Amino acid sequence: MTLLYIPERRAATPWHRLDPLTRLTVGVATMLAAVLLGGVICPLLLASVAVVLPAALAGVLRDVLRTGLLLALPLAVSVVIVNVLFATGTTEQGIAIAAEVVVRVLTMAAAAVLFYATTRPSELVASLQYHGASPRLTFVIHNGVAMIPRLAERAREVTAAQRARGLDTEGSWPRRARGVLAVAAPTVLGAVREVEARTLALETRAFARPGSRTVLWPPHDTAGQRVARWGILVALLVLFVARISGAPLPC
Amino acid sequence: MTELRLEGVSYDYPDGTVALVDVDLLLPAGQTLALIGANGSGKSTLARHLDGLLRPSRGRVRIDGEDAAARSVAQLAHHVGLCFQHPERQIFNHDTFEEVAYGPRRLGVADEQIGARVRAALEAVDLAGAIGSHPDDLGDAARKLLSIASVLAMETPVLVLDEPTIGLDARGVALIERLIGDLHAVGRTVVAISHDLRFVAETFERVVLLDAGQIILDGGPAEVFAEAAWPRLRTAGLEPPAAALIGARLGLGSTPTEESVVEALRSR
Amino acid sequence: MLTFRDVSYRYAGASRDCLHAVSLDVPAGRVTGLVGPSGAGKSTLCLIAGGLAPRVIGGRLIGEMRLDDEDVSGWPMHRLAEHVTSGLQDPAGQLSLVADTVFDEVAFGPANLGLRRDEILERASTAMRQVGIESLAGRDPRLLSGGQQQLVILAGLMAMRPRVLVLDEPVAHLDARGTREVLDAVAALSGTGTAVLMAEQRTSALASVADSLALVAGGNIVAQGSVAEVLDDAATVALGVEPLPEQRLRMRLRAAGLDPALLDAAPQDPAPLEPRA
Repeated sequence: MTLLYIPERRAATPWHRLDPLTRLTVGVATMLAAVLLGGVICPLLLASVAVVLPAALAGVLRDVLRTGLLLALPLAVSVVIVNVLFATGTTEQGIAIAAEVVVRVLTMAAAAVLFYATTRPSELVASLQYHGASPRLTFVIHNGVAMIPRLAERAREVTAAQRARGLDTEGSWPRRARGVLAVAAPTVLGAVREVEARTLALETRAFARPGSRTVLWPPHDTAGQRVARWGILVALLVLFVARISGAPLPC
Repeated sequence: MTELRLEGVSYDYPDGTVALVDVDLLLPAGQTLALIGANGSGKSTLARHLDGLLRPSRGRVRIDGEDAAARSVAQLAHHVGLCFQHPERQIFNHDTFEEVAYGPRRLGVADEQIGARVRAALEAVDLAGAIGSHPDDLGDAARKLLSIASVLAMETPVLVLDEPTIGLDARGVALIERLIGDLHAVGRTVVAISHDLRFVAETFERVVLLDAGQIILDGGPAEVFAEAAWPRLRTAGLEPPAAALIGARLGLGSTPTEESVVEALRSR
Repeated sequence: MLTFRDVSYRYAGASRDCLHAVSLDVPAGRVTGLVGPSGAGKSTLCLIAGGLAPRVIGGRLIGEMRLDDEDVSGWPMHRLAEHVTSGLQDPAGQLSLVADTVFDEVAFGPANLGLRRDEILERASTAMRQVGIESLAGRDPRLLSGGQQQLVILAGLMAMRPRVLVLDEPVAHLDARGTREVLDAVAALSGTGTAVLMAEQRTSALASVADSLALVAGGNIVAQGSVAEVLDDAATVALGVEPLPEQRLRMRLRAAGLDPALLDAAPQDPAPLEPRA
């Protein structure tokens, strides 16, 4: 599974060269639009333009699709079961509803994975600081982005420690399920402690200082990207207004 | 009684880092052995091969002559208990009793024996008074001892401790020294990884020096910390224990332990 | 100089004080060592000296903390951080995680101070040179060994050019070589006039750099003085503080009915740690 930044295989692609804020805008807008858009065709069009195309451009299409599927699969399976097997309406209706939900969830998961896989935490923080985000906001976002790889690493360490105490991770599924707490509790508690410790380490190096800071490696922002970001926001707003006012979908 | 044997064990991490190179090591039942070496020399990687958490890229680990590859980690945990360096990466129960009982329960120890085992293990690390306390209410040093007790209670023939003295004060270190002595006296095998070479010299009968994944020195403390071996220790980023330095300065021969310095001076 | 006067501290949610009316001077250009048994309050004292308690972690502090005769009790964390910085025990846990290279990690603090770009670059380069990690400049700090990471952290703190540097057990996880490198860097920094406060369980490591020691026990400073004065005391040893190797041997000789002076038969032994490669 790829929840981490994938080092660029070639020289930085056009997608990688974008200001991280632009990539973040695309990712978040895609996730919100997937919720707002109904049907199957619209979200699929959205996904191909805002996820598949950039992912292909960045050379991470396979990783994004695979991880997106893995993330969306558990929810998708349960939605299909509920809507198709236990639906009150006809089976066709159930399938239609299930398809809508699955497409949305998949689009959202893939959009998130695309952002994670193509953005280093350092770039994102530099970009946010460059655009004048408050230190507190940067701090929170930074923790969120930086924590996932650390969490995965910690979970591996905890699993090793508990296996050494006899935790069975190779046996039957019910046996493995019982071990979840032994791994989850130290992983989560450890993550909380680590965030606390890192907070101390960052505070002592003035990370929370208000006012301007020097961004050593500023992002490659351009007028075109600024226009695109505003354009995306306006389009999202229009979509939102259209949906709550009950306007028909374009597709 | 369990005998462990590493035969030509090499290990490469998935990213290609070579961590162990053709390691041969026989660990007879009842021996106390310290693994020493610089940060990143392969000590923890080797320790994780002893209970199957890592499997050799090449070579074989044998447990009582049988290939360990045939057994799961959960099965090997009946023979080898491994205590990791960081207590916060394993403690998860709300009271010390349950925390220590976790390992024996996983091994299928009957409920009526659990109480005695837990009490004995907590007593061995001087935490009998903390039975039933919340682990969060203990200090860092006590939590370290609790993690050791939780592996001790598994009563495995082989015990592997990764940096057991880190975070402990002199009294805590003395406790670990006594504990290992007691385990040795009842025939348990103890392997420890440590940077504290005074502790190593005072406590273990055999010392193995790793450098870049290879065994460089293997012998009793008197051999490994003898003046002739110092260049190799220093190349590996280590420094002999103070007793050895003082003994050499006084011309006492190889005196890795304080006891040996005292004895040499007495017989002078 | 950093000065504590009658400082008491209670952690948030705790029912009693962890430090009781502690007074301590941490003079410029010197390394002040903190020794004491586990749980004595060394780490708490470090958190307070670094300004992190109570500013970041909460709790209640009574008493006075002065920096060169200026009362800093009311200063916010970011203001104090321009003058006082602290290093913790676990090197990996202190990495900013926003730096992809050692250079960026070291430059992280100065960049937060909003200094000019060329000054940041100069400070980062100087700090890396002082600690001896110039060759690591382009490496990913997350992939270094614990010892190397601790040196990177130390360089990052030095690049802040603090008046006071607080270190809580910086060598606990390090081998002899890493320990020597960190201690050399600390000694060099104190040589440039920085006040250093350093807590350490491993007294032999501390003794090689400290100009004076304070013994912490039960939330009080129970003794202060030179390294020899504090460590060469049966009361210190009885508290669970690790005696220096020679001192331990003298105790054993005395216990065996032999003359401790037997150890003085030959010239002084070499430094207990390997000289820097």
